[in-house]
This record gives sequence, structure tokens and C-alpha cells, in this order.
Amino acid sequence: MKIEEQEMADCLVRILENVILTEEKSIQKGYFSNLSIAEMHTLDAIGPYDARTMTETASSLGITTGTLTVSIDRLVKKGYVERKRDENDRRIVRISLTREGKIASRMHGKFHNVLARHILEPYSDEEKETLMRLVNDIDHYLEAQVKKYDNAQSIRKTAREVADETRRRNDNG
Amino acid sequence: MDDKESPRERIMTVKDAEERKDMIFEDVLKLLVQELDISPTEINRDVQIMEELNFDSLQMYELVIDLEEAYDIRLPDELLETVKTVGDVVDLVYSRSVETEV
Repeated sequence: MKIEEQEMADCLVRILENVILTEEKSIQKGYFSNLSIAEMHTLDAIGPYDARTMTETASSLGITTGTLTVSIDRLVKKGYVERKRDENDRRIVRISLTREGKIASRMHGKFHNVLARHILEPYSDEEKETLMRLVNDIDHYLEAQVKKYDNAQSIRKTAREVADETRRRNDNG
Repeated sequence: MDDKESPRERIMTVKDAEERKDMIFEDVLKLLVQELDISPTEINRDVQIMEELNFDSLQMYELVIDLEEAYDIRLPDELLETVKTVGDVVDLVYSRSVETEV
């Protein structure tokens, strides 16, 4: 039993690290290498269609509007995001993706799907069904663990720190 | 696609489905010719976009996003999976434009 637990613990951490690393490497080697993984996720949070407010976008990313402003400034400069004042209420600023931003976000979305497709490919329909059920169970369990903490932001920060630390370790060795 | 009316408005003035599809095909053709720098005579509805025109996924998304903006429609990935030929693109743009027609 102990061996199983250890294996599961190691796997979970490795999966987390490797998904992030693969994602990052795919961005670096792709057409949009001037985007960081966090910036790519900001594009995803803005979404390809309707313009969103800063508050909405910050809340779906689990960050403050202040932090988002810095990131949006950079993305505007790089040509992936545009800011527009709301026509009905000039106080509200809406952000949306430029054509480049839409292309980057959709290309990146494809990366996630292709990764999933390749993971599922070798299995039969029956095996896929079982695998999905088990993965969903793990997902729900972890989701519930996250919810236990009131301050979701600190969890996300921890996840980011883990990812940064992993990257540093890999870069050094 | 630099006409005064948007392509979407333009096709809505026509009732006949085949005629609408012809107009969409013309627009798709313009975008493909622009992107690939080839003669329009080399493209018909049966041409396979990825295999025969050697489109990569970046070019495919450029086409998709230009069509989304021109026709004011959404073409999510799950709908794009079945798209193989130029004719498939035309049919998809047609059905999405008609779906949102009021």
C-alpha cells in the first residue's frame, strides 16, 4: 500500500510539472514565442469572442485587477489585446483579442486537445470510459480540496511558485 | 471582402441557398488566393485544404478567424474537425450564418 501511495504522489507531481513544461515548450517553439504561459492563459480568459471587462477577466484568472492591468499593458504593446471604452458607459474599459490574439489563443487551445487526444489514442472505447471516470474522480477530489481553502488566490500563487521552481530546476540541470 | 456591405449582410439579401453558397465560396476563394498567392482557377470546392493546399493549422485558424469576423459567426474547433475541403468550409459558414438569421 505504501508503494502505491508513493507512486501516486510522485505521478501527480510529475504530471503537474510536465503538463506545464510541455505547454511552455510548445509555446516557445511555436509561432507565438513572445508570449509567456501566463500571458497565453490571460488571452484564453479574455476569450475569442465578446469583449470583457477587466473585473470579469481578473476574477476568472483569480488575480487582482491591478495585476491584470500590468499584464494587459504588455499584451496591448505586443499586439494581442486591444482596449476600448464602452460606448454606453465611457467609464468602463473593455478588453478583447486582436486577430493575432485570437489566432494565438486558438492555436494554444488546439495544443491542449492534441495532448489529450494522444493520451487517449492507444485505448479502447471501454478503457477510455474507465480512464475518464478515474481521471474525473481525481479532478473532483482535487477541486474539493482547493475549495476547502477560502483564499483561492493563495492556492493559485502556490501553484505558480511550484511551476516556477520546477522550471528553474530543469533549466539548471 | 472590402465591399461596403458586410459579406453576412450581402448573403442575407439572397434567398436561394445555392446562390448564397456561391457568394460564400467567392469570399473563401478571395481569402485563399490572398494567403497562398495562387490562381483562383486552381481552387474548386473539392480541393482538400490541409492536404492539397498544404495549409498548416496557423493558416487554417487565420482563415477561420477572418470568416468569423466577416460573417459574424462562431466556428468552434468541434465544428472544424469535420472540415476537409473548401466546400466543407462553404457549407459550414452557410449553415452557421443561417442558424443565427432572425
